[in-house]
Amino acid sequence: MAARKRASAKPIPPPTPERTTTQIDPPIAPPKKALIFKFCLFFSIPYFYLLYQHHEIDQDLRKSILTNAALCVAGFFLTQRMIPVASRYVSKRGLFGFDINKKGTPQGDVKVPESLGIVVGIVFLVLAILFQYFNFTSDSNWLVEYNAALASICFMILLGFVDDVLDVPWRVKLLLPSIAALPLLMAYAGHTTIIIPKPLVSYVGQEVLDLGWVYKLYMGLLAVFCTNSINIHAGLNGLEVGQTVVIASAIVIHNLMQIGASSDPEYKQAHAFSIYLVQPLLATSLALLSYNWFPSSVFVGDTYTYFAGMTMAVVGILGHYSETLLIFFLPQVLNFLLSLPQLSGYVKCPRHRLPRFNPETGLLTGTRDGTLINFYLRIVGPKSEKSLCIHLLFVQALGCCFCFMLRYFLAGWYK
Amino acid sequence: MAVRNRASAPRSPPQTLETTTTGTGPPIAPPKKALIFKFCLFFSIPYFYLLYQHYKIEQDLRRSILINAALCVAGFFLTQRMIPVASRYVSKRGLFGFDINKKGTPQGDVKVPESLGIVVGIVFLVLAILFQYFNFTADSNWLVEYNAALASICFMILLGFVDDVLDVPWRVKLLLPSIAALPLLMAYAGHTTVIIPKPLVSYVGQDVLDLGWVYKLYMGLLAVFCTNSINIHAGLNGLEVGQTVVIASAIVIHNLIQIGASSDPEYKQAHAFSIYLVQPLLATSLALLSYNWYPSSVFVGDTYTYFAGMTMAVVGILGHYSETLLIFFLPQVLNFLLSLPQLSGYVKCPRHRLPRFNPETGLLTGTPDGTLINFYLRIVGPKSEKSLCIHLLFVQALGCCFCFMLRYLLAGWYK
Repeated sequence: MAARKRASAKPIPPPTPERTTTQIDPPIAPPKKALIFKFCLFFSIPYFYLLYQHHEIDQDLRKSILTNAALCVAGFFLTQRMIPVASRYVSKRGLFGFDINKKGTPQGDVKVPESLGIVVGIVFLVLAILFQYFNFTSDSNWLVEYNAALASICFMILLGFVDDVLDVPWRVKLLLPSIAALPLLMAYAGHTTIIIPKPLVSYVGQEVLDLGWVYKLYMGLLAVFCTNSINIHAGLNGLEVGQTVVIASAIVIHNLMQIGASSDPEYKQAHAFSIYLVQPLLATSLALLSYNWFPSSVFVGDTYTYFAGMTMAVVGILGHYSETLLIFFLPQVLNFLLSLPQLSGYVKCPRHRLPRFNPETGLLTGTRDGTLINFYLRIVGPKSEKSLCIHLLFVQALGCCFCFMLRYFLAGWYK
Repeated sequence: MAVRNRASAPRSPPQTLETTTTGTGPPIAPPKKALIFKFCLFFSIPYFYLLYQHYKIEQDLRRSILINAALCVAGFFLTQRMIPVASRYVSKRGLFGFDINKKGTPQGDVKVPESLGIVVGIVFLVLAILFQYFNFTADSNWLVEYNAALASICFMILLGFVDDVLDVPWRVKLLLPSIAALPLLMAYAGHTTVIIPKPLVSYVGQDVLDLGWVYKLYMGLLAVFCTNSINIHAGLNGLEVGQTVVIASAIVIHNLIQIGASSDPEYKQAHAFSIYLVQPLLATSLALLSYNWYPSSVFVGDTYTYFAGMTMAVVGILGHYSETLLIFFLPQVLNFLLSLPQLSGYVKCPRHRLPRFNPETGLLTGTPDGTLINFYLRIVGPKSEKSLCIHLLFVQALGCCFCFMLRYLLAGWYK
């Protein structure tokens, strides 16, 4: 809910010309490098283990993956450099918000620059475009899908930024991801068949079912779901980027495992395709997280949540593992289901469905709104914003581990 | 120079909270439909003549072109419907300007919505994406180039809109098109050879010269040139869109002639490719022109000039007729050469290089600034804004006719 971030912001006029030239907006706080460093250390363990030790991965493929990773490291530093620069321009243009969860404290009066997802999006696109030059394992079908993926993600960033600037009505917002997904749907030349889970084969009567255009409809809906579900599971400092980082890390691990464990070259290609787009997502998101983590120096805007959601939907579709992706999105699915009564209008839906902030104690208390955040707070009791966010990200990570375990146990039995 | 349109605008505060929530900006004037209708009538004569009479074009190809044209007609009406809607949102957000060439008259105080190029860009993308479904003559190489073209144009629209919103420094502005052109450069799998003009073969020593990476550099520079040259040959109501409409019409005619006259299927494919992207450009631009023509109800923004320039560079590159494209751009080249002394800093460069407007007479007088507009005014004397624009568009059309004649006369002799 990026909306909460601009609760009081929209009508505030930008500074008058005289003030702008003599008074410069204060620079944003320095990035939280330690947090990112700790994460990278932690993540590199399973990453390099899977890449080098556990599986015998093709030299060429490994080289492509590492080249991609190297580009991503450069992208991380570039994004980290550009965010403070962009913040000044964005603030100047009136794209800023006030942190509702700090209202009543001095921090609640600070103008926080919005829509910094645009920096992440642009750097991501540059990385993804340049990587084509370095990919040693491409063929013409790969190039079509890759460019269609780039076109879709680029279109989504454009529509997300237009939304952040113009504040389009919510019904249009729901439609935007399906428009952005069009290049993908057009270029998707893969199977529209699904493998029926073994236990259900007797009921369906077939092992493999061709869904045809229904599959494309599913792809379009997946894009709408991924983007909007991240958008509504939001409202705490660092939650949107944090959940993306957790899911993206899980996707990279999943891709590496599938590349290593499989012997089907097409299958490996599909997961390699996915990794080439998720690594840049992860790297640029980490750079954004270093500024967005509690206490947030910048807000991410719908630009970011739409971009992240679309990228993950794209890789899930083109990598042919969208069911696995949906399990990674379990908390988002839960949040969506909890939100349905209010979003559909069945239950009264207030402007914001955030927990209630107490400036005295600094704790958040769960309200009766139907969101995962409030539901969790009602169970565990009042928490500070930072620790609540950590808890929720831990829940996200648990969900991903659960998914890995499920795949392990059901392997062979399920498909 | 879209900057002139926002001469007094960017730092004036948007309306206060009360007026913003109760009303969006005032509605804009109705579109000038008669003008567009007259143009379409005039243009359809050579168009249908070339498509049906003069040449024997294959059924399939002709059908694809006409389906594309039908999509474009729908796109025209969609754009025309969306522009007034978008204007309200854009105005509300503070993206408006004051018409400098009406300063001193009552019209000079009207807030004109800016950056309506975003509507054109989005509708163009939707048309271009959907067309893939209808194209009967597509193969995988075509799809790669097409999707790379879409990615490039989409990226340019994104960067153009970011520029309109955030007002990036001009040095960055120059760089943006080369970044947006990257998907194209990466996907370009065509020849990097040039055919040496016959008279020069003795000097060069070869018939055909392979430029390799220099050709790609040329492609990148062409993108930078096309976008920025339209951007600086601007400042009169309807000039930016008008010049694009004239050049795009010439491109369509050129494509039809080349498709009809050639017997090489690859060559025909290249020109068909170009037509599939230029027809949507033409149609959506005409819709914008109906609002932007004198007196302008909306301004187009850098979003439009960058989008139009990039689309034409893309088709020139992928259609392999970039030298012809440059001759269509002759007035822009002239304007660029005239501007060089001031842009390079050799001669003092004022904030705006527009002609001087006299509110009493309503006429524009040429200043000593180095632009084609001023140069022309110095030659023919003071003119009203509308008639000056018509003159300049006529000069543009003359340049295109000159190009056609040149190709006709030099055919066989040149290459």
